[in-house]
Amino acid sequence: MSGFLVGWLAAIPAYAAPLLLAALGLILSERAGVLNLSAEGVMAIGAMTGAAVVLSGIAPTLGILAGVAAGAGLSLVFAIVVVVFRGDQTLAGLTTVAVGIGLAGVLGRDYVQKPFAGIERFGADAAPATGAFERFFLQQDPLILVTLVLVVAVWWFLERTRAGLQLRAVGEDPGTADVAGVDVQMVRIAAVVAGGALCGLSGAYLSVAASHVWVEGMIAGRGWIAVALVIFARWDARRALLGALIFGAAEALGPRLQAVGAPVPTYLMMMLPYALTLAVLVLSSLVGRRGTDEPAALGSIYLRQDKS
Amino acid sequence: MVKSFASGLLALGAAATLLSGTATSAWSFELKGEPKVAFIYAAAAKDGGWNEAIDAGRAAVEKDLGLTVAVAENVPEDATKLRAAIDLFVKRGFNIIVGTTYGYSEPIAEAAKAYPDVAFLNASGTTNGPNLESFYARTYQGWYLAGIAAGSVTQSKKLGMVAGFPVGVVNWDANAFILGARSVDPSIETVVVYTNSWWDPVKEGQVAEAILDQNADVLATDLSSTSPLAAAERRGASSVGYQLDMSHAAPEGILTSVVFHWDRYLVPTIKSITDGTWTPQEYGAFEGIDNGVIGLAPFGKRVPDAAKAKIAEVQAKMVAGAFDPFTGPIEKQDGSVAVPAGEKVSDEALWSMDYFVKGAIGTMPAAQ
Repeated sequence: MSGFLVGWLAAIPAYAAPLLLAALGLILSERAGVLNLSAEGVMAIGAMTGAAVVLSGIAPTLGILAGVAAGAGLSLVFAIVVVVFRGDQTLAGLTTVAVGIGLAGVLGRDYVQKPFAGIERFGADAAPATGAFERFFLQQDPLILVTLVLVVAVWWFLERTRAGLQLRAVGEDPGTADVAGVDVQMVRIAAVVAGGALCGLSGAYLSVAASHVWVEGMIAGRGWIAVALVIFARWDARRALLGALIFGAAEALGPRLQAVGAPVPTYLMMMLPYALTLAVLVLSSLVGRRGTDEPAALGSIYLRQDKS
Repeated sequence: MVKSFASGLLALGAAATLLSGTATSAWSFELKGEPKVAFIYAAAAKDGGWNEAIDAGRAAVEKDLGLTVAVAENVPEDATKLRAAIDLFVKRGFNIIVGTTYGYSEPIAEAAKAYPDVAFLNASGTTNGPNLESFYARTYQGWYLAGIAAGSVTQSKKLGMVAGFPVGVVNWDANAFILGARSVDPSIETVVVYTNSWWDPVKEGQVAEAILDQNADVLATDLSSTSPLAAAERRGASSVGYQLDMSHAAPEGILTSVVFHWDRYLVPTIKSITDGTWTPQEYGAFEGIDNGVIGLAPFGKRVPDAAKAKIAEVQAKMVAGAFDPFTGPIEKQDGSVAVPAGEKVSDEALWSMDYFVKGAIGTMPAAQ
């Protein structure tokens, strides 16, 4: 039984990390007021680029960085469309998804289904004789630790730094931020690009660390789950961590219960991650809340001449 | 009961007559003009799995029949999208159109009615007509043989299989694999876990690990990605691939892969269309190991010679029609009778197989 428990707990971070990374990226973008639905496409570009770089014989760490850069690059296009050319954020986000998936498919054609040695776990083979903590730790990989650091970093940046304050101000009331001397457009572009870098990292995690292979469609809806996670988490990095862990725990549990032959209804288990995450995050945002946490200017286009 | 069965038969006969449209029992089709062939895929043709296996058949059609074949990729399993692609091909004079997925079944049947002079084939489809034939293969025959290989190498007496959705075509693979393994050693158990998706390499790898954590030392995948094999390789476990030879993903531990050779169906069928001798089968083409559509990839280094000999023997019996994996007595997971001694599971019952045989560890969701 403790074997089952340790196996399950050890599996959770790998389920949670890609969702969490993408959610953190979207939080950065949306706290600056840019509604961001592009995660699924940005993750696809990140995953493909990471795999392509590693398959070209370059170190996996650089593959991850290339995925980050690719995600940032595609998001820069999205940012220019919505911030500079004031495109509709919903439409531009959906278009970016299509462009990202399509580009990844076309450019990644020669890299499909070619396994490679990517980022390895701390222990490739978990011998059952080792202790519970050791078994848990050996199942993790360096990017899981990076993800934890990033949660703290994003939270600290948004809540405790001057730049974070400016970013939030742009998302809440761009007019006032403008008067206060904040370059609204630059802040928004920077936030979207930084968010895209995190989504790219999430995609690269899936290919270079989690599966060591690239295939079209491998993001498999995780970008959309991240979009929902951000809303459930009320745009708060700490609650995104909580939500991703709950989602990952529920998702990791289903196959493991099936594998021991436990008579649980499969379709209920499929629903569990969504239902549980929704329930916990709604409850957590109901406790001690006043008003909404949604950035007031989310999805709005800021035009300086419209300022009243 | 007898009466309703008889009237059911009558109704079936009447329906068949109606469907064929004429009094003749067989459908016949005549191609007008030069043959122009098009293949339509729901995802990338080079997906490393299902589509790529069919695309190898397409390449054989080009080479062996000297036809040029047009390809459309990423056409969603959506009636309007597929129809637009078909309309375009027909407008450009294509008269042999090959669909490649179950999700095309209904729209391709509609298109076949709209274009009676165009020949349609559809892989893993469920619809047929005077100018439409769906085709699939008895994959369970290959899985039974792979089960013998797996049963011959397991030390822990526990195998695993990563599967997609709990539907007939998946369940028969799992059950045949289990039966094959237990023909070697009846104490072998097999963990079967459904991912509830057809295409999620990350999840497939994670599910594989959940199975390996249960001490399975041979892991088979009934899906298209190699990530379960990579997970097995990391743990030193053996593995069985599917669709294409997946040995590149697990050079140490691979035992074999259950593979499709669609050229063995596509080349003769398309040739018969161009020759004017094609007669689509009313219930579709259901190809097997006898004509080589299903087979095993070359064995890995862990498969002992004795197992190879046994597999060759069983395969020869299957080809000769002397052995079928789903011949009773077969017990269900809970010990009740699935197939009585001496009886054989009918093709119809195969498609609706909704139970595990004895020796499976896993949960079969209630039907529907």
